[in-house]
Amino acid sequence: MSDYAIETEGLTKVFRSRWSQKALVAVDNLSLRVPRGSTYGLLGANGAGKTTFVKMLLSCTYPTSGRAKVFGRDSREAEARRPIGYLPENHRFPTYMTGWGMLDFYGALSGMGTAERRKRIGELLDLVGLEPRAHHLRLGKYSKGMLQRVGLAQALIHSPQLLVLDEPSDGVDPVGRKHIRDVLQALEQKGVTVFLNSHLLAEVELFCREVAIIQRGKLALTGTVEELTSGSGYRVEGLNVPERLAAELSARARTAGSVNGSLNLLFATREEANQAVDLLRANQCEIESLARTRSTLEDVFIKTVEAA
Amino acid sequence: MNATLALIQDTFREAFARRIFWGFFGCCTALLLFLIFILRVDVVQGALATISIFGRSLPSVGVTNLVEQTQSVIAMVLYFAGMTLAVFASAGLVSAMFEPGRIELLLSKPVTRVHLLLGRYAGNVLVVSANILYLVVGCWIVFGIKTGVWGAGFLLSSLCTIFVFCVLLAVIVLVGVLWDSAAVAIMVTFAIMILTPILAQRFTIERLLSSEWSRQMVRILYYVLPKTSDISVIIRRMILNEPIESWMPIWSTALFGAVVLGIDAWRFQKRSF
Repeated sequence: MSDYAIETEGLTKVFRSRWSQKALVAVDNLSLRVPRGSTYGLLGANGAGKTTFVKMLLSCTYPTSGRAKVFGRDSREAEARRPIGYLPENHRFPTYMTGWGMLDFYGALSGMGTAERRKRIGELLDLVGLEPRAHHLRLGKYSKGMLQRVGLAQALIHSPQLLVLDEPSDGVDPVGRKHIRDVLQALEQKGVTVFLNSHLLAEVELFCREVAIIQRGKLALTGTVEELTSGSGYRVEGLNVPERLAAELSARARTAGSVNGSLNLLFATREEANQAVDLLRANQCEIESLARTRSTLEDVFIKTVEAA
Repeated sequence: MNATLALIQDTFREAFARRIFWGFFGCCTALLLFLIFILRVDVVQGALATISIFGRSLPSVGVTNLVEQTQSVIAMVLYFAGMTLAVFASAGLVSAMFEPGRIELLLSKPVTRVHLLLGRYAGNVLVVSANILYLVVGCWIVFGIKTGVWGAGFLLSSLCTIFVFCVLLAVIVLVGVLWDSAAVAIMVTFAIMILTPILAQRFTIERLLSSEWSRQMVRILYYVLPKTSDISVIIRRMILNEPIESWMPIWSTALFGAVVLGIDAWRFQKRSF
C-alpha cells in the first residue's frame, strides 16, 4: 500500500496543433507526491497547467511522457479511479437530471448498488446544504452555488479516499464557502486526502496544509503552508526612541518606518529582534508591540510566479 | 452491470428531454390511431368483402396481399423517413456525451472508456428500437385483429431496420469521437444514405464510366459501404414473402458496422480530452 495518494514522475504533456505541429508544453516534467490523508493545494496562474495535470491524474488526458499513480496504481487503470471523487471546474451537469437523479447516475457509475445509493443520496444532499425542495428539481433550474453543492455531493457519493476538487467554491457565497470548508475539514478528520485546485489563495491557505505552485507547467515551489508563510520576520514597535538610536536600529532592520512618534522595525531573525529590544530597553524606550510576522500565501505565490 | 444500466437509463432520460423523440413517438401514435379508428376492413371467409377509408369503399383485393402491401409501404416509410429522424435525434445524443465538462466527469469514474461508449451506444439503439417496435408491433397487432393476417415478415423487417440503424449509429459515433460535432455526424451519415442507393445501381454506372480504375472504385465503394438500398429490397421481399436472392448486403453491412464500431472504441480509448 503506497504512502502517497498521488505520485507523479516526470509527468509531461505536450499539445501539438493538428496542422502546423506547433508544440505547447502544458506540463513539463512534473514530479509531485501528495501524502495520504493530507490537504494539498495546487496553485498556479491561468494557463500554468493545473487543469491538464488534474486531467492526467484522472486519465482524461494522456501524458506525453512520465507517469501518474493514485494510491500506488497506474492512473490509466480504471480501478485506480475507484477511490477518487472529482469535481471539475467548468462542469456541465446534464440539465435534464434532478439533483437526486444525478447522484444516482454517478453513484451507479462508481459501482454502488441501488440500496446503497438511495441511503447515501439523501444524506449527502443534506450534508452539502441543499434544501429538500431542490432534491427533485431539474439541474437546469439550479443556481451556480447550488450546482457547486450538488457537484460536491456527486464527488462524495461513493465515499472516496481522494477528493480532487477544481475550484469547489466558485460561484458560492461566503456562507456557502464556509459550509463547504467545514464539510472538507470533516472529511480530512476521517483521513480523506483532499487535493484542491483553486485560484482563491486565502481559501487554500485556510484549508490546505501543503501546497505546490506550478508555473508554465513546471513545479516552482512546494512545501507546507506553515513553512512557506513563516519566512517573513519579526516586527518591533518602539515609542520615544531617540534619533541616534532610531538611525542605528533602522540600519540593522530589513525595513523601518516612523508613524506618529512610534518606530516600526522589521527584522529578519529572532536574534536581531531581541538585540533591538535590549537596546530599546537600555535607552529607556517603551515597547509598544512585538510580533512575529507572516507572509500570506498570496505574497509567496506572487513572489514565486514573478521569479519564475 | 449497474454502470451499463445507468448509461442506458441516462440515454433514455436525455432522449425524453429532447423534443425530437416525442415527435417521432407522436408520428407513430398518429399512424396507429389512424389504423385503429379510420381503417375499417370487412373480411368474409378469408376474402376481403369491402375496405373503407373515411367511409369510402375501395375495390376489393386479396386480404393477405393488401395487408402485406400496406405493411411494406409502412416499413419503407419507417426505413427511410424514420431512419432520417433517428439519425437526427442520435447525432445530438452522441455528441452531447463529448461536451467539455461532462466527458471529464464520466471519464473520472471507474469505468473503462469502451464500456462508457458501448453503454451510450446501446442506450441509443434501445431508444430508437423502442420507437420502431412500438410502431411495427402496434401496426402488426392492428392488422392482425382487423384482417386475421399475422405474417411474421413485417415483424422481421423491423429487426432489419434496427440493424441498419445500428450500423449508421456506429458512423455517427465515429464522427462524434473524431470531431464532437452533431452537424458533421448528420452530414456524413446522410452522405452514406444518399450514396448507397446510387452505388446499388453499379452495373448501370459502370457502363457509363470509361476508365477501368473508376469502375473499380465504384465496385470497392459498393462492397465497402453499408448497403441501405439493397437492404430495403430485402425488407420488402421479407414482408411480401418473396425469396431473398442474396444475404450479402446484410453480412457485408454488418462487417462494415463491426469495423466502424471497433474504430470508434479504439479512437475513444486513445483520445485525450
